[in-house]
Amino acid sequence: MKTSKGLATMIGMIMVWAPGAIAQDLIVNSYGGPYEAIIRERIIEPFEQQFGVDVVYDAVGSASQDYAKIKATGGRPGFDVVVMTASQSLDGCRDGLLEPLTPAAVPNVAALNPRVREIAGECGAVHELQYLSLVWRKDKLPQGLTSWSDLLDDKLEGKVILPTFQNVMAAYLIAVMSVTHGGDLLEAVDPGFQAVAELAHRSVGFEQASSVMETYIKDGRAWAMPFWNGRAQLLMESGLPIDYVSPKEGTVPLVATLNVPSGAENKDAALKFVNFWLEKTSQEAWVTGYKVGSARPDIDVPDDVRNRQITTAADLDALLLPDLAALSQRLPQWGSRWEREVVTQAR
Amino acid sequence: MTSLETTSLRPQPGRLPVRLGPFLPLAPPSLILVFVFAIPMGLMIGLSFRGSNGELATLDNYQRFFSDDLMLAGLWRTALMSGLVAVCVTVIAYPVAYYLARSRSPWRTVVFALAIAPELAGVVLRTYGWLVILEDHGAINSVLLWSGLILEPLPLSKNLLGVVIGLTHVVLPFGILSLLTSIQGIDPNLERAAQILGASRLSIIRRIILPLSVPGIISSLLIAFTMSASAYATPALLGGAGFKVLATMVYEQVLFYIDWPMAAVMAVLLLVMMLGMALAGTRAEARLQCKLHI
Repeated sequence: MKTSKGLATMIGMIMVWAPGAIAQDLIVNSYGGPYEAIIRERIIEPFEQQFGVDVVYDAVGSASQDYAKIKATGGRPGFDVVVMTASQSLDGCRDGLLEPLTPAAVPNVAALNPRVREIAGECGAVHELQYLSLVWRKDKLPQGLTSWSDLLDDKLEGKVILPTFQNVMAAYLIAVMSVTHGGDLLEAVDPGFQAVAELAHRSVGFEQASSVMETYIKDGRAWAMPFWNGRAQLLMESGLPIDYVSPKEGTVPLVATLNVPSGAENKDAALKFVNFWLEKTSQEAWVTGYKVGSARPDIDVPDDVRNRQITTAADLDALLLPDLAALSQRLPQWGSRWEREVVTQAR
Repeated sequence: MTSLETTSLRPQPGRLPVRLGPFLPLAPPSLILVFVFAIPMGLMIGLSFRGSNGELATLDNYQRFFSDDLMLAGLWRTALMSGLVAVCVTVIAYPVAYYLARSRSPWRTVVFALAIAPELAGVVLRTYGWLVILEDHGAINSVLLWSGLILEPLPLSKNLLGVVIGLTHVVLPFGILSLLTSIQGIDPNLERAAQILGASRLSIIRRIILPLSVPGIISSLLIAFTMSASAYATPALLGGAGFKVLATMVYEQVLFYIDWPMAAVMAVLLLVMMLGMALAGTRAEARLQCKLHI
């Protein structure tokens, strides 16, 4: 009896004197691989130290799988913060599955570029931007590439790898090819489909996963491909003889968002985490660590990063920004056209 | 009726009625089946009738499916792929199962281990193994190109052929086990008696072994068909961009297009296809057994 009384007193004293010692758990769902190592070092550990919250990192599932889980559980997927994309943010917000991230709840949202904020909707806090770049092997194409049309050049016959339509990169490629060939991002996309169909006929084939597309460039089966610039930068830094560019006709961004499911158990901590990641210093740490762009135009980063990534208001203004909600509605129709007009042209 | 019989059939106080007794052991698995199979299946069937504007009962999704030639092609491709795999598995598995059932050789254990070994590795691992062998720059094409037998790589992957090869390897152990059980059940004395009476080896197989192993053959066909029809990883990896089957189409609808009612339609059609095959197989077996007077 004496022992249990003593124990209770001790626990009570600890709770009164050191409230920070009773850490709260926050479950963050994101990606594995190099992403996990960088997020732990640059975001999670500083957040834990500042707020006394224990973060449980869940690297299971892609963004689409995570969104399916949120939808299937009615907004209670078992994690508090998730990294997805603007398309999923818009869908989830419309269905009431994601928490609105207003400036009142997440003050740093107000510091983001308004155009980018708008395309992600009220429930998505844009924490990272990549863009669809043109990647090529420097040893095979020393003169480099500058235009989306270069993919159709005779010297790249049988040397371009394309994504399947289940990789969102394919829809974006249609959009930029449309703009390049006289159409637009959403409505007049026939020129885009025609160009990509011709490209499919001259390509080495299609792959769904970006990680598999990489292997074609690594082993020389492909000399060029459309690819997210963040991953291209990581490939470059791994020593691969490649380079990438944002083509002169412009490009579309991959807008990555932080989201809080509407039924998240630790909503307060989740909102703090989202706000922390959008802090100027956190954005600088993330941009320099993961080699991506930011929707915060006020960040200070080294010139070599600034030259390659979306980091300024001018960079943001130059982006081609499709209406993602409208694009999402057109995906089934575009998917059907892709199967009929593009895949059938492949060799 | 004797007094003893009437006493045994009358429910005793504190005891369950006699007729319920034999069903009691079935209660736990039945409950599990109801909760993890019947109810989710019912929900899925219900979802397939849900309209895009919130209607609870509409045939719009089915209409959309049957009026889309790409989706119909996926259904047909699933049936063709599964049928081909079922035939390949059964044809390859039969001699192996026969050898395992009848042989007394010390090599029997080795053959059995080799037959079952593929199950020790995951489906994805095995499929990637086939990708390494079958792709344009894979082992087979590399050897053929190097030897000068071909000038261009043979199209061994990213098509139906590649998927059938991969799935046959994945499903083969199940075909072997199914046939092995059936062939082991055939009395070896029948073969000996036929031999003594002068029947040739071929005649014994054609007139005794094959007819008596019909249940095993049908079971192997059905197992291989259903496993292939619902397979996702192998068609997705070995089939390439243009090779869509129901399983990969369901995945796309759930995760990419977020059109769950359409995914449910596809899942229901897959279920109907498999149930139809099971029914056809059972009837064919009964008809054959009746014809052969087994």
